[in-house]
Amino acid sequence: MKRGGWWMLVILAAVMVAVTTPNASFAQQKKLVLWTHWEQNPDFNKWYESKGKEFAKKSGYEVEVVTIPYQGYEAKYLAGFMAKSSAPDMFMGMTHQWCGQYDFCDKMPADLAKIYDENLPKYMVEVGKWKGARYGIPIEHGNFQQMYINVDMFKKAGLNPDDPPKTFDSWLAAMKKLTIADAKGGEPTQVGFAIRSKGHPVGITDKFLPFAHAWGARMLSPDLDKATGYANSPQMVAALTFFGDLVNKDKVASLAFGNPEDAFGQKRAAVIFRESWFFGWVKKNAPDVNFKVYALPCEKACPGAGALFPWTDLVYKNSPNKQVAWEFMRFISNPKDDLEHHQLQGILPVWTVNLDTPYVKSRPDYQSTKDMLAQPVPPTYFHPKSNELATAFGDAVVGVLFGKGQPKPLLDEAAAKMDRILKD
Amino acid sequence: MRQWLRIAFPRNYLDRRKRAGFLFVLPALLFFGSVFILPLAQSIMYSFYKIAPGGAKEFVGLRLYEKVFTDPTFWTAVQNTLQLLLFSVPTTVVLALAVALGLNRISNLKWRNVWASMYFLPFATSLVAAALIWQWIYDPVYGFLNYALSFVGIPPQKWLQSLFQVRPAIAAVSVWVRIGFDIMIFLAALQSIPEEYYEAANIDGANAVQRLRYITLPMLNPQIIMVCILELIFNFKMFDQVYATTQGGPAGESQTIIMLLYDTAFKYFRFGDASVMAVFVFITLMTVTLLQWRIFRKPIEF
Repeated sequence: MKRGGWWMLVILAAVMVAVTTPNASFAQQKKLVLWTHWEQNPDFNKWYESKGKEFAKKSGYEVEVVTIPYQGYEAKYLAGFMAKSSAPDMFMGMTHQWCGQYDFCDKMPADLAKIYDENLPKYMVEVGKWKGARYGIPIEHGNFQQMYINVDMFKKAGLNPDDPPKTFDSWLAAMKKLTIADAKGGEPTQVGFAIRSKGHPVGITDKFLPFAHAWGARMLSPDLDKATGYANSPQMVAALTFFGDLVNKDKVASLAFGNPEDAFGQKRAAVIFRESWFFGWVKKNAPDVNFKVYALPCEKACPGAGALFPWTDLVYKNSPNKQVAWEFMRFISNPKDDLEHHQLQGILPVWTVNLDTPYVKSRPDYQSTKDMLAQPVPPTYFHPKSNELATAFGDAVVGVLFGKGQPKPLLDEAAAKMDRILKD
Repeated sequence: MRQWLRIAFPRNYLDRRKRAGFLFVLPALLFFGSVFILPLAQSIMYSFYKIAPGGAKEFVGLRLYEKVFTDPTFWTAVQNTLQLLLFSVPTTVVLALAVALGLNRISNLKWRNVWASMYFLPFATSLVAAALIWQWIYDPVYGFLNYALSFVGIPPQKWLQSLFQVRPAIAAVSVWVRIGFDIMIFLAALQSIPEEYYEAANIDGANAVQRLRYITLPMLNPQIIMVCILELIFNFKMFDQVYATTQGGPAGESQTIIMLLYDTAFKYFRFGDASVMAVFVFITLMTVTLLQWRIFRKPIEF
């Protein structure tokens, strides 16, 4: 018993030491670990690994991609970064969040940063930067919503799919024609517009912003320091009234349809506003949907190319392999790889030189992307507290959709809350 | 101190036994301490600090408490949580008791176990998986529930996408998941009640309701209190079902306090505010549990 007791103490002590000692990084020797939450783009993610095999021939380091489910990815990222020992070497995220609100990113080497500054489309140059310094590589051109229409449903409703609505007035008229009401008075069997009403308010804000920008509104002041007067401006109230009416008055969108992408893919909705990656998603998940892509309709303004989620590839500041991680980034930073990588998943490449390649030209969103880029760049909200601000704003949007209140008082409440967040 | 020294350096058989006992409970103590006590202490400490990006802390006293307790979003989440509690706790306890009473009457042990296992199965299911199954059942367009209701002429309902139905709908998932566990507790307790009490009551001419009122329920008092406390804690901490199905929607109608805590900590990175909420949850549950224990628990003598 005596000896057994001491052995037990020794084992326990060993376990404690093993548990508490900062271990070697999760990113083991000879392996770079990349975390991504782009679970909808598995081929895009896998490409890093295949490229990593080539990279290993010259550096000895392979690449392992870990896909973190989007729902709750922030918690996982944060836990990894704070613990350090289980953090990745590279990760996909928003620069203003992980490098701005938190200081988890390594600054990009100047020569590589120069390459990106010189080779990105103008509207994307600021993506991946925080306070003027470049940290991240933008990974998605066309990261702004465009109008996907179901050609067959347009034809069936007596609409010309080659002449899409250019203004929101004509767009609403088309949506009404595309909606098929339920004979028993229930939910429509088919709707014009696949609206986003489920999930976290941040995503709902993202989907509403093109409407806000079309009405000439903006969520925050240009210096991103004030919400009152912007988030609750008369233009914003008008935009939100129009948006809420789609569900509650005009009934061309339904809250019962759940996920808007599924509704479009299942031919229950004729129109959806989504980004360039959606082209690849439809081709893969709903190949029988005959669709075309157009620039978004305009109202007072045309909602141009802007994004609430500027995704980038970043390098973790405390990674023991950060130099090698940058070497890998440098290894894949060329027009050929950019095209190959994005083409694999049906996403638009980011290098300017690739924007007129046969692949891009053959895409149904080639012209619409050009049309969107021809418009003035809409407001961007790359604020470190963008999640919290967008949640406060999204609460008002979703409140209107679900008939919890009128746009003006809900937006007033949201603006006051956003100001409190900004001041705090 | 001397006792600890004797445990560390035993001088006789009894000391060695004590040390062995201590070593056996040590892993559990270490686990409990590192997983529960330390985070709790850390949460209490963080609730007095504003934690800046990068980890720098600034002592702010009770300012975060004032901030959280004056935020309407927080009280809406508390209200939602309480409503979910009101829907699910009494329903779970009453239904579990009724089912346990029924199962207790099945004299064939084999069949009783089969039925009990069937009720217990949902408890063994992951909460997220259960929530996803129910999300499909509740789907307004393709869901099984609306399909079944259509046979009795009830029009399709929006369930998880309705401001008014979302909380009862989520509460139903909790009831479905938890009822099996409560049934097991009640069934075990019912089987331990001496049969002589019922025989005596029968001789005195007591009917079934009187036997339930004057024998079964008083004898089950400790289990009823325990189940009520467990259900209260489980439902107050409700997160998985909400997170997997509605993420607090529609329009914040199902946002529970733990859901808000999670968002505050991991989506908005406000650990101080989230710690205040954690302290609130801890104190509330502790107080309610102690009150329940003190007020409703009655000693039982066999």
